[in-house]
Amino acid sequence: MTTKPLGVRLGPLALANPITTASGTFGYGLEFTDFVDLASLGGLCTKGLSLKPHAGNPPPRICETPAGMLNAIGLQNVGIDNFLAEKLPQLRALGATVIANVWGDLEDDYVTVVRALEGAEGIAAVELNISCPNVRQGGMLFGNSPPLTRALVAKVRAATMRPLIVKLSPNAPDLVLSARAAHEAGADILSLVNTFVGMAIDPETARPRISFGTGGLSGPAIRPIAVRMVYEVAKALPGVPLMGIGGIAELSDVLEFLAAGATAVQVGTASFKDPGVSGRLVRELAAYCETKETTVAGLVGRAHRAGSVGGEAGAEG
Amino acid sequence: MKADHRATLLQRQIFSPGLFSVTFSCPELAQTTRAGQFAMVDVPDRIQPYLRRAYSVADADPAAGTVEFLLKTIGRGTSALERLPEGSAVRLLGPLGNAFTVSDLARGARVAIVAGGIGAAPFPMLLKALARAGVSSDFYFGGRNARELALAARFAGSVTGEVVLSTDDGSLGEKGFVTQALARRLSGGASYARVYACGPMPMFAALAKVVRPAGLSSEFSTEAEMGCGFGACLGCVIPGTEKPFIVSCSEGPILSPEKIKW
Repeated sequence: MTTKPLGVRLGPLALANPITTASGTFGYGLEFTDFVDLASLGGLCTKGLSLKPHAGNPPPRICETPAGMLNAIGLQNVGIDNFLAEKLPQLRALGATVIANVWGDLEDDYVTVVRALEGAEGIAAVELNISCPNVRQGGMLFGNSPPLTRALVAKVRAATMRPLIVKLSPNAPDLVLSARAAHEAGADILSLVNTFVGMAIDPETARPRISFGTGGLSGPAIRPIAVRMVYEVAKALPGVPLMGIGGIAELSDVLEFLAAGATAVQVGTASFKDPGVSGRLVRELAAYCETKETTVAGLVGRAHRAGSVGGEAGAEG
Repeated sequence: MKADHRATLLQRQIFSPGLFSVTFSCPELAQTTRAGQFAMVDVPDRIQPYLRRAYSVADADPAAGTVEFLLKTIGRGTSALERLPEGSAVRLLGPLGNAFTVSDLARGARVAIVAGGIGAAPFPMLLKALARAGVSSDFYFGGRNARELALAARFAGSVTGEVVLSTDDGSLGEKGFVTQALARRLSGGASYARVYACGPMPMFAALAKVVRPAGLSSEFSTEAEMGCGFGACLGCVIPGTEKPFIVSCSEGPILSPEKIKW
């Protein structure tokens, strides 16, 4: 056992612990300082940043669903310039490990934003959002086509020295193909999954409950599907570091994603309901590792190892 | 400072079927909440409602350590609170949002409070704050019918000025919309240092047409479906005049009508 049992390494990215927060569910981090010590997190993924400030979709933007919610915020954000000038210095002062999430309408938009980030200090990694289902251009269109994924990731790869994470769409026709395309084009890390396209209709008015029509489904409702997808990608692409996302709210959920093959996780919608949940999961995971005398690294991929599925003891060593 | 507080349900008072108040023991929130602010209420261990619910704090008693919410049973959140056994533990995230402005009013000033249906919810605490500031309040309370005005009982004795009730069907008070009742008094010479309002969007739209020509200072407590309540999810936006969208929870919920795009 190492002296830092929570530390994880995802290719070129070393994190103090595997608990991070998912883009779009944690604002710019600064909204949570009353509830979480940002420095205690493995990292935080910012709201998706674009070249220009973006207004997002008209309301209603969210609606509750069984064990989760639909959203079509439409990537409202302050834009890259404001982020670098106003938000990033505060995040650095708070000791946060910042993962900048980036999106655009066109390939060149992604590249321009990533270039702008390249000169900034205090960014641990860049995460490409090629999987947002709530914008008319860009977003999921890149993620749902392996050739487009490959071309975009290659272009961005050439523009940054930083660890590059690509956030995959569960709405892609074949997630493993998309994952392979992103990896082969230069992604260091894959994060999965973004939200599932869903819809809710008001039975009285017969109108969609969200103005965009469809929205992205998140929350515990999607967890078993997300776990399955992480498991499949981990099996198909052994050795590619993964960040698992999908309905994580409890320590047992973290352990489940680690077992499926994720090296780190992103806590998403749970932060809306319980703004302190990410910090609490770090503490609970530390206590768990101490009690079990194990490391996080030792918990990764247990479901894939011979013996662990069949119930033989000692697989995690 | 906002925080996630543990609270215990002390008491529920039913005013009419589907209109009730719940009072929680929650000393810290009782001491930190100002009139107009809200809390995100989480009833635990439920798959639905999954998200917390945003409710205006109706009243807070710092000495007793209690906070009260006035509620109308509409969806899963309010239904759960209507049935929650007394003594149950919940979590209250708050205080959230901005508060009504009171401190700039002179002693002896007169204000109007305009409430539509369950829009009366934030006003018991405001009435107390105004009374402490020596400000006289007329309370305009409208609903579709007499049954919707059952919450008027909650305000007995707390209104320092006139109580004006109105119903769409005329079953109680003046017949017509509450905004018409206000307009009649304004054209009759009534004048107010401020109009505070809370109610459904159509009421706000009608009220904006009454207060803006009269040049009245106004504060509207807006309502939007909220995911988080503290500015992270951006789910609760309202179209604005100065920018495309106002984030209702963190920039509001109290907004000046000029800022809202009707």
